[in-house]
Amino acid sequence: MSDRYRQQVVDHLVRPRNAGELGDPSGRGESGDAACGDVACFTVGISDNVLEQVRYKVYGCAACIAAGSALAELVESKHLLDAASVSKADLQDALGGPLPAGKEHALTLVLDAMHKAFEDHWNRKAGEMLSEAERGRVAGGKSVVAAMSGGVDSAVTALLLKEAGYEVATVTFRLHDGERGSRSCCSPDTVLFARDTAHRMGLPHFTLNLKELFDRRVMQDFVGSYSEGRTPNPCVACNAHVKFHASSFLADELGYHHVATGHYARVEEGPTLARPVDASKDQTYVLWPVPRDLLSRTIFPLGEYRKAQVRAIAEERGLAVAYTPESQDICFIPDGDYRRFVRKKAAAEPGDVVDREGRVLGRHTGVVDFTVGQRRGIGVSAPTPLYVSEVRPRTGQVVVGRKQDLEVREVGIRDLNWFLDPEKAACVQVRYNGSPVPCTVEEADDGRWLASLDEPVIGVAPGQSAVFYTGDGERVVGGGVVVRSDS
Amino acid sequence: MTDPVYLDNAATTPLDPRVLEAMLPHLGGRRGNPSSLHAFGDSAREGLEEARAGVASLIGASPGEIVFTSGGTESDDLAVLGLARSAGPDKRHAVVSCVEHAAVREATKRLQSEGFEVSWIGVDEDGLVDPAEFAASLRRDTVLAAVMWANNEVGTVEPVLELADICAAKDVPFHADAVQAAGRVPIDVSETPVSTLALSGHKLYGPQGIGALYVREGVSLEPIVYGGGQEKGLRSGTENVVGIVGLGTAARLAREEMDDRVTHERELRDRIMAGVEEIPDVLVNGHRGRRLSNNVHLTVSGVQAESLVLFLDSLGYAVGSGSACSSGGHKASPVLLAMGLPEREAFSVVRITVGKDNTLEEVDDFLEAFSTAVAQLRELSPLYAG
Repeated sequence: MSDRYRQQVVDHLVRPRNAGELGDPSGRGESGDAACGDVACFTVGISDNVLEQVRYKVYGCAACIAAGSALAELVESKHLLDAASVSKADLQDALGGPLPAGKEHALTLVLDAMHKAFEDHWNRKAGEMLSEAERGRVAGGKSVVAAMSGGVDSAVTALLLKEAGYEVATVTFRLHDGERGSRSCCSPDTVLFARDTAHRMGLPHFTLNLKELFDRRVMQDFVGSYSEGRTPNPCVACNAHVKFHASSFLADELGYHHVATGHYARVEEGPTLARPVDASKDQTYVLWPVPRDLLSRTIFPLGEYRKAQVRAIAEERGLAVAYTPESQDICFIPDGDYRRFVRKKAAAEPGDVVDREGRVLGRHTGVVDFTVGQRRGIGVSAPTPLYVSEVRPRTGQVVVGRKQDLEVREVGIRDLNWFLDPEKAACVQVRYNGSPVPCTVEEADDGRWLASLDEPVIGVAPGQSAVFYTGDGERVVGGGVVVRSDS
Repeated sequence: MTDPVYLDNAATTPLDPRVLEAMLPHLGGRRGNPSSLHAFGDSAREGLEEARAGVASLIGASPGEIVFTSGGTESDDLAVLGLARSAGPDKRHAVVSCVEHAAVREATKRLQSEGFEVSWIGVDEDGLVDPAEFAASLRRDTVLAAVMWANNEVGTVEPVLELADICAAKDVPFHADAVQAAGRVPIDVSETPVSTLALSGHKLYGPQGIGALYVREGVSLEPIVYGGGQEKGLRSGTENVVGIVGLGTAARLAREEMDDRVTHERELRDRIMAGVEEIPDVLVNGHRGRRLSNNVHLTVSGVQAESLVLFLDSLGYAVGSGSACSSGGHKASPVLLAMGLPEREAFSVVRITVGKDNTLEEVDDFLEAFSTAVAQLRELSPLYAG
């Protein structure tokens, strides 16, 4: 052992405060550190967002035991928002100063256990809600729950709101089991990093476990789409069912009015979505499914900034996140190899590659490997480049054709979410980085809508989003999901 | 609060007042360099040679076979590196047990990095080396073998006589680390054919910073310290006369008092063992019979050693912990892992080592404190469901 423990540490070790475990807690959290097998467990009794009771147990070194005791003493009878603001530095102060070298992990360990107890509390309160979210209340007032992924955008979002005079509580969602040590969102390290960032800004931090909801609504849909010949957009699915609902739930629980995320978009009267200042980061295309009542309480502070400005703000304010890399396209596939991901979860039967007349040109390894508009990996040689024009999961066929065969002038759309009068829809965007194409839109008999395009577009894939914009191209009128032309 | 009770004698022993008394003159007026020809030098040289004889008497050696070093670690390093480096290029293999003190272990790893091949000899669950396995691993190109006389962590006494005989028969130099064994186990190098044997002052109620290496007559060693050629060229540098005099006195006392000390320590040790074994899920590690007279080594389930040691410290009892944990990484004791302890349990071990000055009353009070500390920490532990 290098340096000695302070008297405060020894005192907490020998006379622990709030030791034990509540019999009927409102939340229980456990955190373990692989390094030496330390385990901390917190049970909390919360009523009206006040931490009426807190008990802790620790298996570990003296630092861990003392940190648990000091934390329990520090937060008992505090409001949840205050307890969730306690930082490692606060805890260190309570222990009389820095712990001996190599023992700093004790602070992280016990804080994490307490935060997991809060997380459990929310999940118990939400019950089915966090697996099937409900709607929030109407917005107003200056308090906001800001979602924090651990990246620079969401950190600056929280910071800008704080500086604008909002009362801010931050939340990080556990969406999937990210690999430890990876910088993918939701990995345990990322949660700790987000918590640190929030605490450095003096903000309370919470976590919510949405794994079940995310798995059903986003990941299963993602895999299922490929099996069914559709091209999924997981961000759209998450915005439709997960992220905004969960943020609103926490806001309701805390009596907060708004929710905020680090998306690049703007909310305008209506409410509707408008393009952000930084057109190159525009995320309106993936935000169309946010329900109107949730959008009306949503703030996107970054809609007014350019990405470079956001990084500069982070740097200026000394946020460590200033230097984090751009996030992945698909957060639950950190290596970007989504074919491999889908193949691990879905059966892939070989089938025929056919042309538009039904002639067999070759074999393929499974429809999950193909998406409309794809040119590579078809495995059939031809004088002109071949593109996937259709995927037929029922017959296992992949239809290929020349580029001009992919052109469409009519797009069928379902599951529409309108912000403005559909008559205002003047153009439609069918790909994330595509540009809107002038169109007219009308409702078909079966609940679908039909967009008639003024000019042909290629590679319109079922499952992707079709988002309608106003005549100036600036505001989202509404959006929906592209359906197969034959369905 | 009364004076703290010291039960960590394997870490270091208190300085015997009689040893201190012998050392004092050399700290005061009688200060000379043993290499000097004048009277001051004479006086230092006398102290030195008297001490050499004292150390030799503890292990049945002749005084000319004792080399003074800065401590147990240097003695082990000199033996391992010195034996290996003095041999010919056809001797490139070493046989070393997995339960050696870090001094021997790290010196052996150094040899490995110099290109020597090493056969690490495992132990059974009590920490004992199997002589048959040991014998089988010796080769024609084996430059040295090393097995400690008694283990510093779990207290197991190794079958050194047998191992040394095997080596002697095959003409392989054998080094024994006897830092913990000396003064507790009868050692006679005229009966046990070790080539080298390491001793330390501060495990024998002598001062810290002094040690000795027994080097059998005729055994050749390459030094690791170069200079003025003191200690027959094996350990250059002006001798630590004060420390050497202390070690010599301590060794002499150890030889004279060994039987009484061992009898006393055993009584205390067995009382502690019996007491702690009444607590559920407390297990004694190491061999029960072949065991140092002062060592109690325990696994205390559901509690991390570090917190238990600090808890006991706050109650006034000093004991040793096995492996310390830090976020810097795993430091589970290689000795315990070699004995087959699961990694997590290797962080739940404490070492209680009594000494000649401990009393039965102290031990009884300790047992009470120990059971309080264990109970309270287990109460806190989410991993203990006793």
